Amino acid sequence: MNKPQRQQVVLNSFGPGAQALFHTVLGLFALACIVPFLFVIIISFTSEDSIRQIGYSFMPLSWSTQAYRYVFQLGDALWRSYFNSFLITAVGTVLSVAICILYSYPLYRKDFRYRGFFNFLSFFTMIFGGGLVPTFVVCKTLLGLSDNYAALIVPLLFSPFNVIVMRTFFQTTVPRELIEASTIDGAGEYRTLLQIVLPVVKPGIATIALLNALAFWNEWFLSLLYITKNMDVIPLQYLLMRMQRNADFLAKNSAMLGADAAQAARNLPSQSLKMALVVFIVVPIACAYPFFQRYVVAGLTVGSVKG
Amino acid sequence: MKKVVSIVLALALLLAAMSFALAEELPTITIMFHGSNVTDDTAVLEAVNAYIADKVGAKLEVVWGTWGDFDDKATNALLSGDTGIDMVFTCSWSADEYNTYAKNGYFVKLDDLIAEYGADLVAAIPESLMQAATIEGAEGMGIYAVNGFKDTATQNTWDVNVTLLNELGYTLDDFKAMSFYDFGELFQKAKALKGDSFYPFLVEPMVLERMVTGSIIVAGDSGSTNLLSLYLNQDDVSAEGPEGNVILNKFATDEYRKFVDKMHEYYEAGYVDPSLAVAETSNDTRTNTQKTGEYLIGTQSYAFGYEYSADVLDRGIEVAFVPCTDPYVDTTASQGAMVAISTASEHPVESFKFLALLNSDPTLMTMLNYGLEGIHYNLNADGLVEFTDERANYSPWTNGMGNVTILPDTAAEGAGFRESFKAYYAGAKAIPALGYVFDNAEVANEMAALGTVAAQYALALDAGALDPETTLPDFLAALDAAGMQTYLDAANAQLAAYLG
Repeated sequence: MNKPQRQQVVLNSFGPGAQALFHTVLGLFALACIVPFLFVIIISFTSEDSIRQIGYSFMPLSWSTQAYRYVFQLGDALWRSYFNSFLITAVGTVLSVAICILYSYPLYRKDFRYRGFFNFLSFFTMIFGGGLVPTFVVCKTLLGLSDNYAALIVPLLFSPFNVIVMRTFFQTTVPRELIEASTIDGAGEYRTLLQIVLPVVKPGIATIALLNALAFWNEWFLSLLYITKNMDVIPLQYLLMRMQRNADFLAKNSAMLGADAAQAARNLPSQSLKMALVVFIVVPIACAYPFFQRYVVAGLTVGSVKG
Repeated sequence: MKKVVSIVLALALLLAAMSFALAEELPTITIMFHGSNVTDDTAVLEAVNAYIADKVGAKLEVVWGTWGDFDDKATNALLSGDTGIDMVFTCSWSADEYNTYAKNGYFVKLDDLIAEYGADLVAAIPESLMQAATIEGAEGMGIYAVNGFKDTATQNTWDVNVTLLNELGYTLDDFKAMSFYDFGELFQKAKALKGDSFYPFLVEPMVLERMVTGSIIVAGDSGSTNLLSLYLNQDDVSAEGPEGNVILNKFATDEYRKFVDKMHEYYEAGYVDPSLAVAETSNDTRTNTQKTGEYLIGTQSYAFGYEYSADVLDRGIEVAFVPCTDPYVDTTASQGAMVAISTASEHPVESFKFLALLNSDPTLMTMLNYGLEGIHYNLNADGLVEFTDERANYSPWTNGMGNVTILPDTAAEGAGFRESFKAYYAGAKAIPALGYVFDNAEVANEMAALGTVAAQYALALDAGALDPETTLPDFLAALDAAGMQTYLDAANAQLAAYLG
């Protein structure tokens, strides 16, 4: 009994040299992921004078909380869009996960007659899109998705990619025998799905939920397209993107706009303010990640043979 | 009993519906502006709507496009035939480019409407602007947008820090006698006085190139980095330039070589901030440094009265703008800000009436542009406009709205400003190729390829960061390989046809 175990230990371990190498490489990789965030935080606390004189730096000439004071003075517009970001992410994630499960579960069930058709239907949209303007027409004119929360949630509710991930997850983790067993025990379709299957695929759901939450949290393009008059519903990401795009536009067109561009540039927020907003955007989603992490790791390893 | 109740309820419902129908409001017309910074327009629109109800017979709604999102929003609305947008800003440099969109049938031809309802408009706007807007559109030759009366001529100037110039022992007249090629001495002294981290030459490299070589933008050229140039006659802008009415590859001229050689010399001597040579930081660096007044000579594409703007007054130094040439009217400037009516609009007549009123009625223009007296601004003892803090929540882009010459003078500008403004631009002469717009559709592939090549070299060369000796030949070879000749030939063939 001991022998094979020792063999396994030997098989799964590396020499100290290799260990050190892997640790260094992975450590550097982790550092590369973290450094930009640290940099953003440092810039958000850098004084404007310092940015003007030496640009972005890990060691600014002087520190300042000016950007954060300004953010808090933004008042209603900021908190409103911050609230919108949370609302859109929460509602969007719950709905999109529900839709994803309800679509992919039948595709996993071999006894569903129209499996092929619905598989194709969702797969097709991954390859061929309608294009921006037709999509815009359908969403705005046909579905009335304009200047409301629905416009920021509905277009993202269904993701064919997530359906494929989820369907594969069902196929690899839920044995057909489980379905048969529950049918024999007298469970109806709803009970089978809700009480038997779902607890088994929790890691898959967590993965999809994380992907969707990130997608909703980071979304700004929908606001650009569909929100024209009612600025009360825009999320924080769009507020930030708008500042960034204004700055980019003025930089690109300053030759055409001349003195107008120079005057308009005065209204733009400072560099440190932009970074302060980035901090506002990053922190909540970074805090949410550890809650999903447990499931995501479980999801990655769940398919392997357990010893 | 149930029957009776249901009949009564049904009747009540019917009555309610009818009373809504009776109280049917005026139609709503919506306009989309560019470059706005507006967070609260409730009070202004209330006042505007009370004012225009009888005159226009419609209720106004505004979509305040910002600099960054206007292009996407406007093109989406037009391309999708959105009936919710009646009027939209257009010009020679926005994504809903005037000539292209008029040609493709997205804008209503206004000639009949002008004849019927436009007498005031015609009286308020110079004839030359009407002409500049007259183009070959989807329904033949005609006017497809109301052209705004603003700074309708282009003029590039040296932006001079007079305070520092005097400290160095020079007067403004000394400076006016100098050319770009003589600045070295000034820069050297400024650098000696202010220390190593001071960069005296604060330029927009692309604008500087036009100023030094005397070239102008060809409307319709690649927008990110201009490739083509027409050359001005610097003594008389309305006369034919030194190269004739021929478009050239701006990077292949002797003048350009001379310019980049000198610029590289200035750069190597430490007179130019290296971040000006990088696209991502160039504009930010320039505007930020301008604010602090830490420069000696800059470039500024100028509009009359710019010296009175807060942007200049807050620098803490004495600033003078020294012109390179007289102001000249080119296509870019004369189609610089217009408003068109979308062909998808259900209320083109009301929309036009509104535009005519906006451009000819000072009360309406002032309300929509400056906000409300007592809230967004107050009139001082001399009757000049002084903005309040509320203006921060309501700052449309003034020049994007239309006829700015009917606005009242502000305290910063001084009394009589608008009159001088009008006189200044009335005196501006037109370049020979005014009205020519390069239709790049047939060479779109070449343009994309050339734009990519130019983005790699042009800014850094213009800012002096690259050595022309080694990089200019590479750059020109890369342009040739990307189809420069085809692109040039197409532009010249069209220009020759345009000039007849």
